[in-house]
Amino acid sequence: MKEKKQGIKERPAEELGRHIIQWDPDISLCAGCGACEIVCSLIHEGVSGSRSRRIFFEHDSIQLMHKVYTCQQCLDHPCYNACPLKDKAMLIDPETNIVYVDEKECIGCARCVKACPFEPKRIQINRNKKAIKCDLCRGRENGPACIEYCQCLAIGMSDDSPPVPGVVVKV
Amino acid sequence: MSEQTQLPQYGYVGKIAWIDLTDQSVKIIPTSNYAPKFIGGRAIATKIYWDVTKPGMKALDPENPLMFMSGPTTATGIPTGGRTSVCAMAPNNLPEQFCWGNIGGWFGAKLKFAGFDGVVIVGRAEIPVYLKIDDGEITFHDARNLWGTLTHDCQEKLSLIHGKEAVSVVIGPAGENLCRNASINTSNDNVAAKAGFGAVMGSKNLKAIVVKGTGDVRPYDVDMVLKLRKTMGNPQRKANPVEHLDRCAFRAHINFETEPGAVKKTNVSCSHGCNMRCNLFVLDTKSAFPRKVTNQVHKCIGVYAFQMTEDCGMSPGMFFHTEKNHNQACLGQGAQVPPPPDTSDPYLEELMTRRPGSTMNFWDGDYDRGNVINDLCTQYGIDKWDVIVWLMTWLVMGKRTGVLENMDLGMEIDPGSEEFMKHLLDMITYRKGYWGNLFAEGMARTIRTLGKQKYGETIYKGIISNVVPGLQLDIPISFESSWGHCFHWQGRGFQGSPPPGYYLSSTLMLMTNTRDAQTNSHVHGTLDYMKETMDAHKACLNRKVAENAFMGEIKAEMKECVTCCDLQSPQIFWPDMECQMLEAATGIKMTEEELYLACERSKNLFRAILMRDSDRCRAQEEPEAYRPLQYPDCEGQTVAPEEFAKLVDLYYDVWGWDRETGWPTRETWIRCGLEDVMEEMERLGKLPPDKSSKEQ
Repeated sequence: MKEKKQGIKERPAEELGRHIIQWDPDISLCAGCGACEIVCSLIHEGVSGSRSRRIFFEHDSIQLMHKVYTCQQCLDHPCYNACPLKDKAMLIDPETNIVYVDEKECIGCARCVKACPFEPKRIQINRNKKAIKCDLCRGRENGPACIEYCQCLAIGMSDDSPPVPGVVVKV
Repeated sequence: MSEQTQLPQYGYVGKIAWIDLTDQSVKIIPTSNYAPKFIGGRAIATKIYWDVTKPGMKALDPENPLMFMSGPTTATGIPTGGRTSVCAMAPNNLPEQFCWGNIGGWFGAKLKFAGFDGVVIVGRAEIPVYLKIDDGEITFHDARNLWGTLTHDCQEKLSLIHGKEAVSVVIGPAGENLCRNASINTSNDNVAAKAGFGAVMGSKNLKAIVVKGTGDVRPYDVDMVLKLRKTMGNPQRKANPVEHLDRCAFRAHINFETEPGAVKKTNVSCSHGCNMRCNLFVLDTKSAFPRKVTNQVHKCIGVYAFQMTEDCGMSPGMFFHTEKNHNQACLGQGAQVPPPPDTSDPYLEELMTRRPGSTMNFWDGDYDRGNVINDLCTQYGIDKWDVIVWLMTWLVMGKRTGVLENMDLGMEIDPGSEEFMKHLLDMITYRKGYWGNLFAEGMARTIRTLGKQKYGETIYKGIISNVVPGLQLDIPISFESSWGHCFHWQGRGFQGSPPPGYYLSSTLMLMTNTRDAQTNSHVHGTLDYMKETMDAHKACLNRKVAENAFMGEIKAEMKECVTCCDLQSPQIFWPDMECQMLEAATGIKMTEEELYLACERSKNLFRAILMRDSDRCRAQEEPEAYRPLQYPDCEGQTVAPEEFAKLVDLYYDVWGWDRETGWPTRETWIRCGLEDVMEEMERLGKLPPDKSSKEQ
């Protein structure tokens, strides 16, 4: 399925890992509730707020064609490569090849943020001066919470089939 | 509730900003001055208004405090918490009275992320300004280059200046020109419109408020929040594709053919963090302005600009519920498709049997005209109810009855014409000439200036019931209800098909309000209640009608305080839903009864303001509310004044108000913890004799 353009810089699909995508409006239009970033920050940080999110909902004033920016889980993981504490603060899950952060070890240098090839950046430094990035809710039984709580199935995994109009997915 | 007096560290962010436009000063008030006794939203705004104002305030006075107040659930991720209260003395109420509004969008949530539970705006700037609220800092900016812009243009410019993360509420030219029906608009076409608060902003030379916030809001119980996201409103997870249709089929009675593929529609959420998408969203529609096509959001009323050949009907299931089928109006009435009904329900047929709207034949289906009218209202910042339900229908009925034969509006009067409506709304927004100036005062005042007897009460004989097929319903050419507002589910005129158990309850709610109350208090009850109250005369003697109105008003207070939304509350079979919302947000544990009492407190304080400032009493409000009931409902039933009076007796009993005066009794003030208010009422001579009305 064609993924919506995300950000200024694009990378060929073969350089990206399994990641969260936003479907085309003809498949499902984002309703603009922001649940994706709200549940993301609630589940990971216990708060609601833009500094605590790992998925980036961009509100489109007036025309309401909102965008959801997500970590593309680059296969060459430039964020990991830039980390001065790689394999301690920033690690690669051996099973999924996904980069994740051990916040206890992170020193908040933000080199990973600078190395992220996308705009807007898909990693940010949170209020505790720790890098936070999407790791597809690593270890969470139901998978990524943003997908689970998206009421209109406007986001999904890049290797998913698109949602079928009219078909209700179990809540 | 364990008598909690300290502000919890959860839900609230702890500060309210007092902003004076005259001297461009800001002071910070702790939210704990008011909450949790006054839970949030409208309750806090009402308390502030009571504390800081005196009788004699006019809506467009600089001292009129315009308040935007969020609730403890706002921005926590609890569905419907994104709704935000807007309160002030209202210019479009007749007479001007303290009033509330309710707005969706992202403004309230952003306000909290910026560190404020609410803002109070007083004074008047020397030149047009806009406010910027950015992570705790409030600054004043020259808005002369924004003054005169349409709402969308203004929002786009603010977004360019302050970035996409900035969210704004703005007024259009109508607000600047002090049109009494002017709205305050969010960038997703949500509005605080009915009270005319756009004119209050205009009177303060305040074009917009833009807010950016990167702070956190911490709910008390994340798991509970997540659970509520999956249970409130019985949400369905399914795709939300943009449909390309050959028909404008937005309601059962708004259904006509268009160019192939012309109608592109889907749904969107109205506010931050909701788990539903109740609003209709139409894409690539014709704009009234040369700019471009535009996308539009519709809640309830805008769709009637497309077609009004038949009034809005109803199915009982939209408002009356059984244990097996109790979807909210959001799903039954709104644009989002409801889940399939439970067919094992023996009452399903009764729930689904439609009470069709009356035949009106006011204007035929025209998709472009409907879009243009909606765009005009949105971009100018005018209340769509005042325009579509009242002005347009009045022009049609007035013309057909010959009442308007000497009215020269510069074009042939034809609300079915796109060009005429562009001409008319331009004239009103910019107060052009005598007629523009007159209509800019809102419909209620326009009709009184012209002469109410002829221009308001001439009977129109062209409405035919479809509930009792062929029955002619003679009602006035002006769809006026009470307090300067138009009919809204009152069993007459527009949305005239609900049964007596509905419209008697909605009339009581309207009676003690200052504006159309239905926007936050659609009547809900059990199917048994509806069946028990089908006879209007007997229903006036039934205490259950009074209790239904009481419940509706209490729930309305909850919606405005906690905050919640009228399309998800009340849940008849989940009565403590709002208690759970409040607990999840703040950790405050309240029983249903305790939350009811907190809302009674807010409502009684609202009543105290009306008693102090507007001489509110039974002699004032009962005839004001009664007026529509003298005209036939869709079955031809009317209600006599003495019948309504008996219902009002029962209703005052339920509230603990004196039957004779309509004033809260000493016992009621004390029960609500408002002894200080009681003392003021006593000083004003408005404390009823020391006896409980229930003993009468």
